[in-house]
Amino acid sequence: MLAVPVHRILNREPKDACPDGVRDDGNQGEKPMSQNLHQRKIGRRTFLGATVAGAAMAGGLAPARLSAANKTVKIGFLAPLTGPVSAWGLPGLYGCRIWAEQVNAAGGVRIGDDSYNVEFVSYDNEYATDKAKVGASQLVFDEGVKFIMMLGGDTWPGVQRISNESGMLVSTLLPSDLSPDTPNLIAPCEVHPIYNVTGVSWLADNMPELKTAVICAQDDALGRPSVATYLAAFEAHGIQSEDPVFFSLETTDFAPVMTKLLSSNPDILCLDTAYADFVHPLCEQAHQQGFKGKIISCTADYYEQIIEKTSKEFMEGFIFQFPDFDDPALNEPQINFAAPNEFYAEYIERWPDQWSAVSWEYASIMDLWVQGAQRAGSVEPQDVLAGMKQGGTGKHAFGEASWWGKELFGIDNALVGNWPVVVIENGKAVIKEYRSIPDWWSMHGNLLVKHFTEMGEMYHQRG
Amino acid sequence: MTELLLQTCVNAVYAASFMALIAVGLMLIFGVMGVVNFAHGELFMLGAYCVVFVYADREFPFFLAVMIGLVFVGGLGILMERALFRPVRDNPLAGLIASIGLLLMLQAAIAMGFGVRMEHLPPPSQATFHLFGLDGVVVALQRLYVIVGAGIVLVSLWLFLRRTRFGWALRACAQDPEAAALQGISINGTARLAMFIAAAMAGVAGALAAPLVRTYPYMGHSVIVTAFIVTIVGGLGSLGGAVVAAILYGFVHTFVTTFSDGVVADIVGLLLMLFVLVLRPTGLLGVRERD
Repeated sequence: MLAVPVHRILNREPKDACPDGVRDDGNQGEKPMSQNLHQRKIGRRTFLGATVAGAAMAGGLAPARLSAANKTVKIGFLAPLTGPVSAWGLPGLYGCRIWAEQVNAAGGVRIGDDSYNVEFVSYDNEYATDKAKVGASQLVFDEGVKFIMMLGGDTWPGVQRISNESGMLVSTLLPSDLSPDTPNLIAPCEVHPIYNVTGVSWLADNMPELKTAVICAQDDALGRPSVATYLAAFEAHGIQSEDPVFFSLETTDFAPVMTKLLSSNPDILCLDTAYADFVHPLCEQAHQQGFKGKIISCTADYYEQIIEKTSKEFMEGFIFQFPDFDDPALNEPQINFAAPNEFYAEYIERWPDQWSAVSWEYASIMDLWVQGAQRAGSVEPQDVLAGMKQGGTGKHAFGEASWWGKELFGIDNALVGNWPVVVIENGKAVIKEYRSIPDWWSMHGNLLVKHFTEMGEMYHQRG
Repeated sequence: MTELLLQTCVNAVYAASFMALIAVGLMLIFGVMGVVNFAHGELFMLGAYCVVFVYADREFPFFLAVMIGLVFVGGLGILMERALFRPVRDNPLAGLIASIGLLLMLQAAIAMGFGVRMEHLPPPSQATFHLFGLDGVVVALQRLYVIVGAGIVLVSLWLFLRRTRFGWALRACAQDPEAAALQGISINGTARLAMFIAAAMAGVAGALAAPLVRTYPYMGHSVIVTAFIVTIVGGLGSLGGAVVAAILYGFVHTFVTTFSDGVVADIVGLLLMLFVLVLRPTGLLGVRERD
């Protein structure tokens, strides 16, 4: 309640998020800020403040690039750009900016008989349901976007009704948001937390001597389904796990949490889908309290910093699910992400130390959106949805994938295929293998359903 | 089991020390000035950002950064007293609202200056010590800094309040400002001193703990909530009560986290406050105000 981000006060994007104004289309400054401000019915003081801020920034605005595209399609970016979850929002917006610049510089996207420039309109939902609702309303009704990309989780309930009533196509990174009541919500890139089974499967195959595990997670819509997934995966591979340990989002000291976790002397420490802000202090505490086993986690954002806080030796063999895109294994032919190594180099040059799990994901979703729109010959949300799901398959970033999810989510709106297992070796993230999620599901799907049910995370159990 | 209990006690001592530094300052401001300072968490945050700026970004020694944090945040406290709280001294509600306004401004200023992402602070030391000769009982040197720092600050404050004329003046103003003024004690000067001490304590807590906690512009929020619980449990206006409550809360929260989980611990912390208020509405060491 007290954490009001800067852009709410100045009525503009936070500095990190969008230093050149409200739009992220690669053609910087194409739409005047004043127009947007008038639409929001702001007060005189706010207007003056924003005008001063805008004037100060104006010197940095580049002239709009010439482009062959004759139309513009707006895409909403509704994710946390500030706060503890911003590591899974803001870096994705950066990736989208690179994507838009490349696409627009190449003449835009050819859909039907028209070429479209792509313009991202971002809104910081601060990972709060009410703010997500306001953001969705603004994006759909004021901005006229044709597609909204979200992180999902706790913010999706704020958007669901607007999506259902307007028919707006929305993507989430968290398929646990999916249910039969969400016909317009898709999870086309990340099948969180189901892909976590690939890490456990790889660990069990390569380190069979590790037999006991403990899990900790923040108590929210990201943490709980992920805990159910890890419990299922550990059980499937004969790894004994203790009862999961939950901590609140307000936790500042992780020493007691780690003391509890290590009290059973586990072989494996599972950090679940803890936020980056939590993974770092948890690893630091594990190091300080003398943990000697292996750590497995959904993410390891900014892992270089964790190494600096612990040691290269301590982090050796850390297993997670999100590669750096300079990995040579991403150049394999089945990968459906254009020039991943170059994308990574461009990203790192512009935003050093900002690469996170989601840096490429929203851009990858845009690739799928373009495929769907081109198949449909239209940018209208329902047409694109039909185009995306045409034939029941799609080109996922890590290879061909199928639309799936009825058994777990009540709707086949998750695109599922292979997912990489990433291990830190000598201080650097390395893709060890791509593993098939559908193959794992066909063997152990019943366990996943069992643990989702016990955790109250099945689609029919959620409120 | 013995090792687990001892390790939990060590963790609890850290939690209590950390919280006492913040809660005692909050209580001091309330006691002397009658202001509920909602921006106290942001003073803690500013102390942490002093370490970010001086130690992490400029690579000066860690303890120099801590000292700068102490002086800078203490100085800001003096500024707050003069510009914010003095003009509304007779209006506690106005003081509270002013502190909320300041809180938002400080958050925004830091977010604009440093960005909204969690800051990376290289640890000043990775040294750890095994206590009682047991492998399973460990304390990191960085956590010892907080424990020892809190001890030094709190003992110094106690001596200051008990043994010096300035300390007597502070206590006199807290008890009865009008009577203190009639004795020739400067109310403004005393308020300024109280604000400096309280802000400096929050600043030094933030600075010492910065490498251990998540340092980001909104980090004050979770700290201030706990600090309010502690001050209410301790009894409004009682510095000793704040220390006792910080110890009690630190131990209860840490033990419940270790033997149940963190979510339950937060609930138990609130129940502790309710329980104390039901049994002793004035808090553990609070004194009932006369009509």
